Amino acid sequence: MSAGGSGGSAGEAIPQNKLIVFGVVGGLVAVYLSYFLVSIAGSAFAFIGALGAICAIVWGCSAVRRVASYGLGTGVPSIGMLALGMGVVATMFGLAVGGIAGPVISLITAAIIGLVIGVLANKVLGMGIPIMEKSMTEIASAGSLAILGLSVTMTGTFMFDEVLTYVVATGYIAVIYITAGLAILHPFNANLGSDETQDRTLVTGFEKGAIAMLIAGIVAAVSNGAASTPTILIGLFIWYTAFTKYRELVARDAYDVVGTGLLPTEEELE
Amino acid sequence: MEPLIGMGVLALMGAAATVAGASEDLESDVGSQSNPNSQVQLAPQMMYPHRIYNKAISGEPPSNALMCAIGGAVTSVLMTAFSMSILFAISIGALVAAVVHGSYCVTAYMGRTASQKRYKQPIYLDIIRSHVPVMIGYSFITTFCIIAIAYMMTAILDHPFPLTLLAFIWGITIGAIGSSTGDVHYGAEREFQNVEFGSGLNAANSGNIVRRAESGLRNGIDNSWFCAKFGGPVTGIAFGMTVFLSGWVTTVFDASISTAVGWMSVVAGVGIILLLILWNRRIEVSARNAYGPYKEEDDEEVAA
Repeated sequence: MSAGGSGGSAGEAIPQNKLIVFGVVGGLVAVYLSYFLVSIAGSAFAFIGALGAICAIVWGCSAVRRVASYGLGTGVPSIGMLALGMGVVATMFGLAVGGIAGPVISLITAAIIGLVIGVLANKVLGMGIPIMEKSMTEIASAGSLAILGLSVTMTGTFMFDEVLTYVVATGYIAVIYITAGLAILHPFNANLGSDETQDRTLVTGFEKGAIAMLIAGIVAAVSNGAASTPTILIGLFIWYTAFTKYRELVARDAYDVVGTGLLPTEEELE
Repeated sequence: MEPLIGMGVLALMGAAATVAGASEDLESDVGSQSNPNSQVQLAPQMMYPHRIYNKAISGEPPSNALMCAIGGAVTSVLMTAFSMSILFAISIGALVAAVVHGSYCVTAYMGRTASQKRYKQPIYLDIIRSHVPVMIGYSFITTFCIIAIAYMMTAILDHPFPLTLLAFIWGITIGAIGSSTGDVHYGAEREFQNVEFGSGLNAANSGNIVRRAESGLRNGIDNSWFCAKFGGPVTGIAFGMTVFLSGWVTTVFDASISTAVGWMSVVAGVGIILLLILWNRRIEVSARNAYGPYKEEDDEEVAA
């Protein structure tokens, strides 16, 4: 039995196309801006990459929300892990061949891999979810941009050799993979239910993205190219703001928020 | 390396894994994570509102991978960038990971409960205040033990993988074992104490979980009290055995001596698996005979 509610498209106040623009433009601009500012003005600007990662994460969790509301239930985590798997492969490929165009090539590669997986899921596995192809493309691209953004924040650059030395060989790619992955798939999973709302889910995305930023900031302490403190402080600020907002939205949406109490009575339930 | 040192490290890793397994399972029981969560989530929909912590962090393997990877990364940063001693580094790493886990717990409970508005399930703030510190505590123990295992593998056994990656992989492993071993005790036994043992979950009973405790209304901490008697320790033994036995075969039959000895380790591994399968089968059959109704004619009615 799916506890995730009915099959059908999820209601949304912010149209998905706006979120796609927010994710793609925000992600790419932040990655490039961070790279150039770090090389011109200094390592303190490495945090901008993580801001791009947050944009991509919010876009990703909106895409997860759309596809998962077709009654995926426990498939929600699987789809997020799959997305980040595609994202890692695409990012490494893009950075290895692309040089300065690396992030763009990574994004395009991720989109292509996502599309292929989406077509396979619908045509070969016969899942029959109408927006599967589009959503898988979006989730893979968002995963790739999130990984890129966090890598730039950890190293201050997206040049392949640096990323390979400081992110992949040291194993920190694992922490990027899982913090970005859970930030993309946890928001919908956490707000799963019949009365889920788009703004609450997306605010959770901001909050979890800020945690990924915070961790990337801690890891940046190892690298010479990226400063750690600004990323941690800005991450904490975003986390606090998003969590306060989340708390407000929970109070707005919940049946009741009580300090303590007994269960609702039979009369109340009818 | 001296075979004796290898065995000693292995024994230490097995002990750490046993503790980690137990705390991992109890953490998931306090918050009703993983498989039993579907019934806790379903209950308000079936007109059974409750005071049990309802959280899902994408399943146990990813959520444990998250805390172990964060813990491993922070530990490794503290050791390389700040030359901190391993004991302090692991403690701080596990603390950061546990607090991050706590934030995931809070959003999961608040979000899921707020999304059950039409079923009139209230959010109880005292449940958050009392349960989240418990879960942070358990996840600290789990993360501490897992990073210790990963550190012993890199520093003493010279494993080629970096600390963070090993912690991540062990996190997935412990989540998977905790999810498959300990959850049964909570999901099948504790949640459905009101039905006969071994009767399975009839569709009509879906969501009808036990909501009243030995005294007062039942919550997640009551559930961990129950699970600490069997489910948690069993998960610990299962994970400890996995770590110990999988390392034991290659330590005793070291492939670096000769290829023939290497193959001996494969044979020994297969032998252990066969032995465990037969042993498990015997336990299951004797449990059915001793406790279960399992009447032949009821077989078709047992669902899920």
